[in-house]
Amino acid sequence: MSENILSIKDLVIHYETQEEVVEAVNKINLDLNKGEILGLVGETGAGKTTTALGIMGLLPPKVGHVIQGNIFLEGEDLLKKSQREMRSIRGKKISMIFQDPMTALNPVKTVGDQIAEVIRLHERCSKAEALKKAQDMLAMVGIVPERYKEYPHQFSGGMKQRIVIAIALACEPELLIADEPTTALDVTIQAQILDMMRKLQKDKGTSMILITHDLGVVAEMCDHCAVMYGGEIVEYGTVEQIFDNPKHPYTKALYRSIPSLDQDVERLHVIPGMVSDPSNLPTYCTFYDRCEECNEECGKHDPWIVDIEPGHWAKCFRYTPEWSGTPVADPADTKGEGK
Amino acid sequence: MAKMHTPAMEKIERRNAKRKKPVKSTPAYESWKRFKRNKTAMIGLVVVCILILVAILAPLIAPYDYQTQDYTAMLQKPSGAHLFGTDQFGRDIFSRCIYGARYSLVIALFCTIAALFSGGLLGIIAGYFGGKVDTIIMRIMDIFQSIPMIMFAMCIVAVLGNGIPQLVCAIMFASMPTMARNNRAAILRVRGSDYIEASEAIGVGQWKMILKHMIPNAAGIMIIFFVGFLAVSILMMSSMSYIGVGLAAPTPEWGLILNDGKAYMMTAPFMMIFPALMIMITCFAFNLLGDGLRDAFDPKMK
Amino acid sequence: MAENLLEVRNLKKYFSTPRGMLHAVDNVTFNIEKGKTIGVVGESGCGKSTLGKTLMRLHQPTSGEVMFKGTDIANLDLKEFKKKYRSNIQMIFQDPYASLDPRMSVLQLISEPIKVNNKNLSKQEVEKKAKEMMELVGLAKRLEMAYPHELDGGRRQRIGVARALSLNPDFIVCDEPVSALDVSIQAQILNLLQDLQKDRGLTYMFITHDMSVVKHISDDIAVMYLGQMIEKCPAKEIFKNTIHPYSQALLSAIPIPNVHHKQERMILKGELTSPIDPKPCCRFAARCPYATDKCLAEEPVLRELKPGHSVACHFAEKFVK
Repeated sequence: MSENILSIKDLVIHYETQEEVVEAVNKINLDLNKGEILGLVGETGAGKTTTALGIMGLLPPKVGHVIQGNIFLEGEDLLKKSQREMRSIRGKKISMIFQDPMTALNPVKTVGDQIAEVIRLHERCSKAEALKKAQDMLAMVGIVPERYKEYPHQFSGGMKQRIVIAIALACEPELLIADEPTTALDVTIQAQILDMMRKLQKDKGTSMILITHDLGVVAEMCDHCAVMYGGEIVEYGTVEQIFDNPKHPYTKALYRSIPSLDQDVERLHVIPGMVSDPSNLPTYCTFYDRCEECNEECGKHDPWIVDIEPGHWAKCFRYTPEWSGTPVADPADTKGEGK
Repeated sequence: MAKMHTPAMEKIERRNAKRKKPVKSTPAYESWKRFKRNKTAMIGLVVVCILILVAILAPLIAPYDYQTQDYTAMLQKPSGAHLFGTDQFGRDIFSRCIYGARYSLVIALFCTIAALFSGGLLGIIAGYFGGKVDTIIMRIMDIFQSIPMIMFAMCIVAVLGNGIPQLVCAIMFASMPTMARNNRAAILRVRGSDYIEASEAIGVGQWKMILKHMIPNAAGIMIIFFVGFLAVSILMMSSMSYIGVGLAAPTPEWGLILNDGKAYMMTAPFMMIFPALMIMITCFAFNLLGDGLRDAFDPKMK
Repeated sequence: MAENLLEVRNLKKYFSTPRGMLHAVDNVTFNIEKGKTIGVVGESGCGKSTLGKTLMRLHQPTSGEVMFKGTDIANLDLKEFKKKYRSNIQMIFQDPYASLDPRMSVLQLISEPIKVNNKNLSKQEVEKKAKEMMELVGLAKRLEMAYPHELDGGRRQRIGVARALSLNPDFIVCDEPVSALDVSIQAQILNLLQDLQKDRGLTYMFITHDMSVVKHISDDIAVMYLGQMIEKCPAKEIFKNTIHPYSQALLSAIPIPNVHHKQERMILKGELTSPIDPKPCCRFAARCPYATDKCLAEEPVLRELKPGHSVACHFAEKFVK
């Protein structure tokens, strides 16, 4: 088995305001192998971005709180690091690409300077060296290096996203978190960017977390895939396992609700009901109210992780040996958490 | 219900348990909730309310009449008998400042309403119709604006003479360009939104569009400007009175009281300090209130 | 053959910008059959939304004709158009978050079009009709007094659908109605639109950038590139026999949610060229892997290659499979 670069244990993140507490991430467990791409899929509000911000240590101050859990990067717990230590880790060891390339760049600095700035923050080198390296980075993402003197507004949307990627990769981080990197782009441009990202990932051996709502992107890019719903990872496995043999009712329903290009479907499947209010999650299975395969036990307990095959698990009672309607007891639940 | 209980949740639950019934969430209520949370804005609101009360209850609060002269107690320092001291005619400055709130607030209110109806309306028309109408209105406003506000007001007073209506008129004309500009910006912002185009698509007519969609949605920003303008009007009125082109003595207007104290600045500084403080506190409170309203109506605009 | 509800002839919409004329919609010609759906696809800036808004007369056409039930509505006086045809042609907007007035309740939002277009109805009648519309699009009764900010994207888009439908239109322009929605919600809205079409014989023009959605909902698909229609064919055809090189590239660029689907991807060079004062040549030539001198010298026209399948490419025959 390959080595874990990132390992998340029982992570819980809440957003607390005076009016409500939003349970954004609920006890997620996640491992990322070195040099692999993990896809994090889910709909709006599933907790994908919150997880990423938690790893980066960039949760909104005062509002976002890590309630419990650990995030290990190469064995070191990121949650125990001070703000200062995190600053030196961000950009150097972990980088993040945000959804909107238009706002991620400083409009009054040349792109070369912006890349060089990151390099100089983390590496000891002269300005000239940093600029030289910045030009190499531009060439790497497919932009003519001579354009390093230009300003962001002189580039198109796809080009800007390339620059953002160049900045993120400038210090050769071990882990890259890409939060919907191509959602704001057109499909032909998306294809260019994904193509480039895959090449870079292969060449540099960077591990990557790819956050997206597009199952197609996951199928093409990722090695492993985690499906998120209501702040939980409901199913995890290799992409082959998740795509060929989806187990969790949510994953299955999700597949049937997307129009397919290669098959003709008269009517799309609709997941009944709507996403549970994250400020008022049930104590039982979060998907219970919309699930078509549940039984009454599901409405009483929160399911635990059930192994389906090696490396593939789902958070669903259906796959417990006891599934038939008789009461079940959680073998792992010895602490009696929650309410 | 929750996946995991935290102290923060319990706090909210306890508070919710105390609440009798859930309140309907309208856009206005959401704004009020945001406003309530803002401490400085609440301070502004409280101070403004106190000032309004003071203005209304002036005869009850003021210990002396504002124009009774007492030659036995001239230029007295602040004391128990005269909280803010007395002026050169023995009038109680505290009472004069209290009555001054009436003049300042009421005149400022009239000025601002007048400016809103003249400049604001022009701004709305310019913003909605755009094109040539916009260009003509806004260029005229530009010409107005190129004359310093206070100069402009002085010229109008010079032509029309002293008095409250004249003062209101002067301040209205002087502040019209800014008012027009702000309201035009507010309307333009709303006009660019998708729901205006969507309403156009279902056949909503021009005037209905302005009255039903644009003004209600721009109202938040307009109120912010309105409150901000109250402070500007008070300042302008006081400065005009101070330099002698505003109201005439013996009106207890803050700027006039300041003017009275000018000659005694060295020997009796309290004569200037207290009215100046009143002006400052009032403007400050209105500005706090305005900022709070901005955050409440328009959390994105910060 | 079914009758055409809409016949668009050489429709042009140019915007004048400081840098020159922007050809947002350039010489577009097509028909829409009654009760059918035409899908218009293309990347951002290809003029698909402008085309929809020009048909609606939210933008005034520069030239060309739009025959609707025998009348040329493109050249009709705007006042007359609004009076006679506004309620016949309606639109569903892209962003359900921005296209609803935040200060109106659900019932007010849905009543508005009814009230505006039927001045003689009493308040009760308007309300009754609005409530019927709510039921039709699947909005629960308890939401009547809710405001848009309290609702999720799917419900907001249902309001948008109800507003458009309340005028009993024949033709609805759907401008990216599901692009801002999550997939599970997207399915709800697509099904709703299909049901309504079946029940009421509606004709749709469905504008989107999402190929899988357009294939699902449309009968015919038109691909646009820089203001021009470059390929038009039956929906089933486009995924099997795409002819225009741009359509091929567009299709091959879509990530397919299937791990075994390993297709040859055609990565295009560069990005959209400027639609401002374009040269008289094939607008795709700069990015086309097959471009020749002829493509740079001469502008191809949309011509019918097979029944129902038209392409604007000089070498279309070469690409027929």
